[in-house]
Formats: sequence, structure tokens, C-alpha cells
Amino acid sequence: MARFRSLALVAGLALLGVAAVTLVPAIGQAPKYGGMLNVMQREDPPQGFSIHETSTISTVWPGMPCLSNLVIFDPLKKQESMDTIIGELAEKWSWQDNYRNLVFFLRKGVKWHDGQPFTSKDVKYTFDMVREAKEAPAKLRINPRKDWYSNVDNIEAPEPHTVVFHLKRPQPSLLMMLASGYSPVYAAHVPVANYRTGCIGTGPFKLKEWKRGEYIDFVKNTDYFVKGRPYLDGMRYVPIKDRATKFAAMQAGRLDVSFPGDESRTIAEQVTKAEPRIKLTIAAQNVNDNMLLNVTKPPFDNVKVRRAISLAIDRRGAVQAVHQGGGIVGASLAPRPHGVWGLLEKDLAQLPGYGKAQEDKAKAKKLLAEAGFGPSNPLRIEMVTRAIPIYLDLSSFIIPELKQVGVEATLRQIETAQWHPLVTRREYQAGPNLTGIGPDDPDANFYENYACGSPRNYTYYCDEQVMKLIDQQSQELDPKKRLQMVMNIQKKLEEDAARPMIDWRLLYNLQWNYVRNLVPHQSIYNWGRMQEVWLDK
Amino acid sequence: MRSSRRSPPKEAATRTYVARRLAIAALTLLGMSVIIFVLLRLAPGNMVDILFSTGGYVSESDKQSIMKELGIDRPVWIQYVDWLREILTGNLGKSYRYDLPAWEIIKPLLPVTIELAILSTIIAVLLGVPTGVISAVRQDTTLDYALRVFSLAGLSMPSFWLGMVIILVLVGWLGWIPPMTYVSPTENLKIHLVQFLLPALAVGYRSSALITRITRSALLEVMREDYIRTAWAKGQSGWIVIWRHALKNAMLPVITVIGIEFAFLIGGLVVTETVFNLPGVARFLVEAVLWRDYPVVQNLVMFIAIVVILSNLFVDMLYGWLDPRVRYGD
Amino acid sequence: MATEPVGVTVAEVELVAPGMALRRPGLVTIVWRFCRKKPLGAAGGLLMLLIVVAAIFAGVLATHDPIATNATSTLARPSSQFWLGTDHLGRDIYSRILHGARVSLIIGLGSTLLGSVLGGIIGLLSGYLGGKTDLISQRVMDIFQGLPLLVLALVMAAALGPSVPNVIIAISIPIIPRAARVIRSSVLTIREMQYVEAARGLGVSHLRIAFRHILPNTMGPFIVLCTAQLGSAILVEAALSFLGLGVPEPYPSWGRMLSVSAAEYAQKAPHLVLFPGFAISLAVFGSNLLGDALRDTLDPRLRGA
Repeated sequence: MARFRSLALVAGLALLGVAAVTLVPAIGQAPKYGGMLNVMQREDPPQGFSIHETSTISTVWPGMPCLSNLVIFDPLKKQESMDTIIGELAEKWSWQDNYRNLVFFLRKGVKWHDGQPFTSKDVKYTFDMVREAKEAPAKLRINPRKDWYSNVDNIEAPEPHTVVFHLKRPQPSLLMMLASGYSPVYAAHVPVANYRTGCIGTGPFKLKEWKRGEYIDFVKNTDYFVKGRPYLDGMRYVPIKDRATKFAAMQAGRLDVSFPGDESRTIAEQVTKAEPRIKLTIAAQNVNDNMLLNVTKPPFDNVKVRRAISLAIDRRGAVQAVHQGGGIVGASLAPRPHGVWGLLEKDLAQLPGYGKAQEDKAKAKKLLAEAGFGPSNPLRIEMVTRAIPIYLDLSSFIIPELKQVGVEATLRQIETAQWHPLVTRREYQAGPNLTGIGPDDPDANFYENYACGSPRNYTYYCDEQVMKLIDQQSQELDPKKRLQMVMNIQKKLEEDAARPMIDWRLLYNLQWNYVRNLVPHQSIYNWGRMQEVWLDK
Repeated sequence: MRSSRRSPPKEAATRTYVARRLAIAALTLLGMSVIIFVLLRLAPGNMVDILFSTGGYVSESDKQSIMKELGIDRPVWIQYVDWLREILTGNLGKSYRYDLPAWEIIKPLLPVTIELAILSTIIAVLLGVPTGVISAVRQDTTLDYALRVFSLAGLSMPSFWLGMVIILVLVGWLGWIPPMTYVSPTENLKIHLVQFLLPALAVGYRSSALITRITRSALLEVMREDYIRTAWAKGQSGWIVIWRHALKNAMLPVITVIGIEFAFLIGGLVVTETVFNLPGVARFLVEAVLWRDYPVVQNLVMFIAIVVILSNLFVDMLYGWLDPRVRYGD
Repeated sequence: MATEPVGVTVAEVELVAPGMALRRPGLVTIVWRFCRKKPLGAAGGLLMLLIVVAAIFAGVLATHDPIATNATSTLARPSSQFWLGTDHLGRDIYSRILHGARVSLIIGLGSTLLGSVLGGIIGLLSGYLGGKTDLISQRVMDIFQGLPLLVLALVMAAALGPSVPNVIIAISIPIIPRAARVIRSSVLTIREMQYVEAARGLGVSHLRIAFRHILPNTMGPFIVLCTAQLGSAILVEAALSFLGLGVPEPYPSWGRMLSVSAAEYAQKAPHLVLFPGFAISLAVFGSNLLGDALRDTLDPRLRGA
């Protein structure tokens, strides 16, 4: 019987294509309650469950089940956009005063895991803390996303179940950022530090025990504000560092769900081949490989040299060599069909490094010659990169690419402890790098990575005209016009080789076939709530 | 000399010797504490940099305030004195990474590593000493050659690679999957043993090779000594001579190696614990170093140091017991 | 034959008692006799020779550029084009193993010599002189020995930055106390022997006794130790590179070839894990075989047997 079902599943895969299958089982089947879900985890979460204090999926993934947002991207819809945002702690919301005020009407009767009532004070407390308002009663130890809220003038809690965000100028994207897994509401009565060792949230699961290096156990929150959820009795997140071990455990059925982004194409195909009852869903990560070029110092203050570097790197070759085909080329926003804002293929082909490899390399040599570099006077650069495999593989690909246009690059490996201080202080020439972006949204990306003065703008690319364009698209209320503006900005950024994009990583999510309703989105940071997940066993 | 071994003056000397060794052990630990403390702080970057790296940015002013919060903005010597004072009062400080008392982090790791180390050592001795003895007695026979190649092969393979190959074979060809999380012996003894025996084999095989070599060469050396030849000449049978005289005297260097191996085992377990996903001290130590989690690293290192010093002392005591030519005192 | 057999003659000259120096045989004879009496050792020597040749002529022997990636043939199985297959970035494993031999040999030899010589001198002096010198040096050795090798290496690699000289230093330090202890323990035994006591009785100076009479007699254990350490130094380098602390990418090193990516693709492409591991094992195996044989040959008390 089981064999017949798995055969049927294989046939189904062949007919419908891998991605389509994910949604099919959800239809027409009554969800079952109960069961434990075993979830893959990369490492002990840094900073515990304090999502506001990190930028890593290692914290967001196990932190999301116990916390809640005001709004969130519908967990069952594959592609996140403004249209898939649904209420969570906010029952309804409305834009007022031409997108200057955002009013949230909160659910009533919601309780924190410790029994305290949830009110608008908690919301004001959380986001005043994140945006570092003068009147904020608490402070985050580190605060990576302060800039998301730079346009918030003040937050008002006029009554226990109403919150108003007053903005300095219209900004439709604020809702996108609030819907990200990065934007949970903390309890005002719990010190921030406690979230680093425990978790008092309003989410579908309560933290039961965190045994460092071994597991994180959650139990069902029977008081959860969505009636009838969650379906599962509990979950166990198991941190395993070694990749071979963790996927072997998955294959053996000891883990039901893979950790978002840890699966490469090769490993995912290997696992599904060995165990056909594990299903593969291809989605996106919202994580890109890129090349940092320090624009404040020669030679990369010269746009010609930057563009030459960009031209030298064969994007499609990178997808093959670095990801065994498990990637996709695109500019600074997630490429289609996964992303919403990506450039069209015909536009991409015009950009440096996206065309025919040999032609682009010839152009690169010409540009280098114009800048005064050639066989007699080769450009020598020192690249830096983090001493972790995903960065090193990328670097190992780039060095011989540059060699082909006569650029001699050496590599210095930087330990994690030194990486961010180094790039923040501009003490580097060039560096292969990875960038992850929370929601698939222009504001979240541009203001963080390209805006003058942003702490995560490691290249220090700062262009007044581009800045103006970024502000304009942010205020644009017509989605079509905005899309056009955003595409123009992306072209401009690649032509300037501000931070040449190399490729976007695809997600090869693995789940056992009895896992239902866990739908990967185009960003790994936003679909870990788990309240809809159930087991068909 | 042999007759004087168990006489009262010798025992008194031994007692003074042990007392002195213990006093000196304390000094050694002090020296070690300075070295590890200084080395850790020489390494560029601290916990706060790592925290910021999980956030993907750095803010100088916030960095200062967090350093103040953790107490690592103070002069280094004050931090050092504070640390010593804390150790003496049994307080091991707080893990920067986990915001928990360091002891709470370290305690559950110890049994795993100790069990693994002891198992590996037992496997090494069980495998190494007999192989070495047979190899020495049957010197230059085919058996000797075969045993030496076997043991040298063990010495030549990186134990982490051996672990990888074991897993590769088990997973790829036999479909066996190593347990994912640590299973305590009370939970399921069988799984527990399997979980520990495989890494212990990978590590122990390697250590056994060293023991085989040393046993063989020490035994060969002792077997040339006059008193062994005399014993042989007196007509005692070969194996009795080896057992009663030769092996006992050959144990001296063997024990040194076991002592050294045990100490080094703990450091050498790092990769094996990672490959087999065992929540032990060694794996944790590397992570703590990478996180610059000073209190955890310092105290773990001191703990390992104590184990090493005690095992060295023990080895030196065995020297005297096994080889009457060695005198204590001076 | 390259360096090792030459080492035999040098050591042997020192060991030969004055009266026997007259009958010193030629190099070829020594090598021939060694090969015949110690076939395993000779095999080890041959292995080492092969690796030395591979390291020196890596540029000529390699079939591909060891760092060039190749998007069209990633994880290729061994074939006539790629003798040992390619890795996940399409780099030729055979060529990388050849070039990796350089790193392993330089670091292995460098750190072994540095560590064993320093440790040997300390052990010799501390064992012979005894007393306060012994006590103090033993305490200092304890301090170094108590520091877990990988912590020391991790912190040093972090403090100094990963580079060849730094890795050599990091690996040699843990060798010092090992060398010192082994030498000291054999000195403790030897100094009680009659001929040493006789020399002392004749009023020969301490330094002369230590270096003329005791040192040659510790040569056996010292050479066993050195060769064992050469092997283990290569292994430690592999472990450090495996953890990402060795020689920087993209230059090939055997340990790094085994690191994370190899484990990840192990099921699909076992050659990624197998071949670099074999290379390490063979190099270490060779040095161990040779060391064992040398030890039997060099031990003066075994000479006549």
C-alpha cells in the first residue's frame, strides 16, 4: 500500500512538475491534528530567540514559531507580495491620510505565553525600541534593522487595541517590512535579554526546552489566538553542523523538514533519489552572491575598472560551477519567476557580465586597457572573504575568472569575528560576499545595501541621483509605475557596478511526503511560523 | 637497587615527591591560565564583533556599551584577577554567547567527552599492546610485517577522514544512519554504545598504532638486556619471560604514550565529535573560540589542563613503580 | 635517493664508535643493505621519494591548472580526461593533489624539525642535569602540553592569520613537549648506565657527557619520534585545513580538499573524499614505515644482532 502510494507520488511528480505538487495535497483533505515535527536546524541560534537582534536565518527559523507579527505573508501562498499580507496580531489595518498613517486594529483577548494580556503597549514598545525612539523604554543590544523604520515619525497607542504608525512621508513598503519574519512583537513586560535564552511570545508554539547543541523543543500553545491552530502537538529543532550528517538524518526519517538554505541542488537531488518519499520543492532564498568593490579607493573608484571586473565574471558559469545549476541570474532584486521586482531576461542580457562570456571578457580587457592596465602592467588586487565554505567556493570561482582578463587576484581569508568590522571600516579592495534580504521589497533592499550612509552599504557606493530615484520609488503609490522605476534603478546599479550581482541562490526545500502546508516562499526569512503545518500520518 | 624499592625511605620520598608535584601543579595551572588568557585576547576581534556579525553591521558606540556590559572594556590585568577570583570561589562566569552561567553550558558536555576519551583509550590499549607484543616476539616474520602495516595504516589515516569514510560506507552502502542526537545510556543502551563505539574506533585505532609501535620497539630493546637473556638462558619459557620481565619493563615508554595520548585525545576529538555529531567538550570548545566566548574557553581549557596534569603526574608515579632505576627526589 | 638516506649516513657517522669508523661503507652499499634488510622501510622511503618528486615537479606532472574552475564538468567521475575526477567547482583533483603535496611536505618537515630539535634539546638537558633545571623545564612543558593542540592552533591562526609560516609555528609548539618528554625519559634511563657513570668518574664535563655519550644513545627514540611527528604534523596540517585554518584558498591543500564541501558531495562523488584522504594517508604511511626501519637500523644496540 505504502509502495503504491509512493509510486503514485513519483508519477504525480513527473506529471505535474515538482513545484505544483506542494499545493495539491492541501486541497480537499481535512487536516489532521497531533504529532511531532522534527525540524533541521543549522546551529544553536545566535542571540537565542531575539530575532530583532540578529540578521541570520539561524535565529529567525526557530524564533518564528513562538512569536507573532502585526501582519504576515500568507504562509500558504508561494509568492509574497503586498497582496498576500494577512493579519496576525492585527485583525485589520488601514492606510490613512494618503499613506501617511498606518492604523492597526488589534485582536482582543490575546495572551502572552506567561498569561499576561497582549495590548497596543507591547506594539509601541517593540517598534519604538527597534527604531530607537527617544522615548523608547528599552534598548536592543544590537539593532540591524533600525533603518527600516527611519521614515516612522512616531507610534501612538491611543487605546489598548489600536496602534497608529505616523510616517514622515508615504511609504507603502512599510507594511512589507512589518510582514517579514524579522518583525515580531516583543512583550513589554519581559526584559529584552530574556529573549536570548527563552521566548515569551504570542505565537502558536511555546518554548519547552533548549538544550544547547542538542535540541530546541516546542509544545503547542493551546491558547493560540487563531482558533483550531496549530495542528501539531509539538516540534523539535535539531542543530547539526555537519552537512553530511544532517542530510543522512533527513534521509533516515529522523528529520521531517530541511533547514532553509542548507540544501544545495546536488544534495537535494541525492536525497530525493535515495528516498523518493522525500519531496523536493524549488523556491528562492532572497539571498544573492555578489562582489564587493570598495568605491572609495583606487582602482575601484574608477567605474571602468569596476565594470571590467563585473564583465569578467561569467554569471551563468557561476550558477553552474558554484551551485551546480542551483541558482539563477538576476540584478539587485530577486529574479523572476520567484521574485516580484526582478528584471526581464531581455534587460538582463544587456547588463555587464550577463551576455556571452567571451565577448564580455574581451570588453573587460578593453576597459582595463583604457584604465591603464594590461599585460605589461597587470591589475593586482587583494580580495578578502569570510573563511566559510559558501564564501570560499564563490572566491575560488572568481579568481580564475579574473585571471582570464589579466587581473591577478590574491585571497585573504577573514574570520567571522573580523569580517564585518573590516568591511564596515572599508579596509578592503574587493570581496566576494553573500547578501540576504528579509522581504522581497525594494525599500528593504535599496535602503539597506545601496543608500548613502547605511551601515550595511559595504561598498560605500553613494550616488545622489540614485538616492533620489530610490526615494521616489518608495513614495510611488501606483504599483505599475513603481515597478518600472525599480527596474530602472537596478539597471543603473549594475551598469555602475555598484555591487555587481553574480547570482541568486535557489532553495531546494526538502520535506517528507506526510508533511503538509509548509510552503516555501521566495524569501527564507518569512515562512517559519508553522501554525498551518500538519502531518498526514 | 631493586631490593630497596619498597623500603620506608623510598615511600617517604615518594610522599614528599607527590606533595611537591601537587604544589607545582598549582603553579603550572597558574602559568597556563596566563597563557590562555593572553592568547585569547591577542586574537583579533571579540565577542561583540561576533554579535555584530550576526546582525551584519557594526556600530562603534553600541560596541563600547556592550563591552562595558560584558566587562571586557576594563584593563586586561583586572579582568585576569577577576577571573582567578571567580575560579577560586567556584564561579565560572557567564557565557557571553548564551547568556547563561558557563558551568551550565560546560557540565552536560563533560560526560560525553570523557566517555569517548576513555573508550578510545581502552580500544587503543586493547588493540595496541597485544599487537605490539606479538610483533616484537615474532620480529621480521610475515606476521610481524602484517601487524606493522595494519598498525601503521591506522597511524597514517586522519581520524576525521576515517570517520567520514565510516559514515560514507554505512550510509551509502549499508543504509545505516548514525543517531542524530545524543542518546543517553539509560534511554537506550544499544544505540548509545553504537553511537560511541564508532567514533571511539576511529580515534582508538589511530592511538593504538602509536602504542603498538612503542610497545614493539620498547620490548625489542628490553629483550636485548642482559637480565632477559639470563632468564632465557636459565631455561624459562619464552612467553613467561616476556610477561614477567620484558613486558613490565617495556611498559615504561608505553605508559608515557598512553598518558600523552589521553591528554591529546581531548583536543583531537574536535573533528571526530563534529563528524559524529556528539555534544562533547571538544566540539564545543572550537565554537567557543570562534565566538570569543572567553569564560567558556578559559574554563574549559583549565579543566582540560587539570586532567592533563593529573594524568602526567600519574604517569610519573608509574615510572617509579615500573622501573626501579628511576629515582624520585634529588 | 633524496634527503632521507643522506640523513642515514650523517646519523650513522655520529653513532659509530671511534674504533669502527675505519670500516665506513659507501652510500650505495648502505642503501642497498638497508633495502634488503628492511623492505618495509625501503617501501616507505620510496613512497616519500615519490611524494617529494610529486611536490617538486607538480607543475610539470599536473594535467590541469589546479585552481581553474570548470563549470561544465563539476563532480566528474575519474576518467581519461580527469584522472581522479573533479571537485564541486570542476577543478581537477589529480592536479590539486600534486600541488597539495608541496603544502603538506613544507609544513610537515618545517614544524617537525623546529619542534623536535627544540624539544629534544630541552629533554636532553632536563633529563641529564635533573634538579631545578629538570623541574622548571618540566613545568613549562606541562603548561604547553596541557593546552589542547587545536585551541592553541585555532587561537594562533586567528591571531597571526592563516599562512604557511604561522601554521608551521602553530604545529611545532605541541611537538616540543612530546619530544622533550620522550627524550627525557630515555635520558633518565641511560644516565644511570655504567659507561656514563664511568665517564663522570673520569671527570668528563657535563656538557660533553650529555652530547657525546647520552645524545647518541637517545638517537633511536629521537628518530622514531621525529618520523612519527612528521607523520602527525602532516595530519595536524590536514585537520587545521579541514577546519578552515590552514593555507588559504584557492591554493590546494589536502586537508582543505576534505573539508565541508567534500563531505557534502560524498554520496554523489565519493572520490572527493577518498583520494585526498589516500594522499594524506600514503604520505604519513611512508614516513612512518621509513621511520620504523630507520629506528631499527640506527639503534646502536641492535646493530650487531
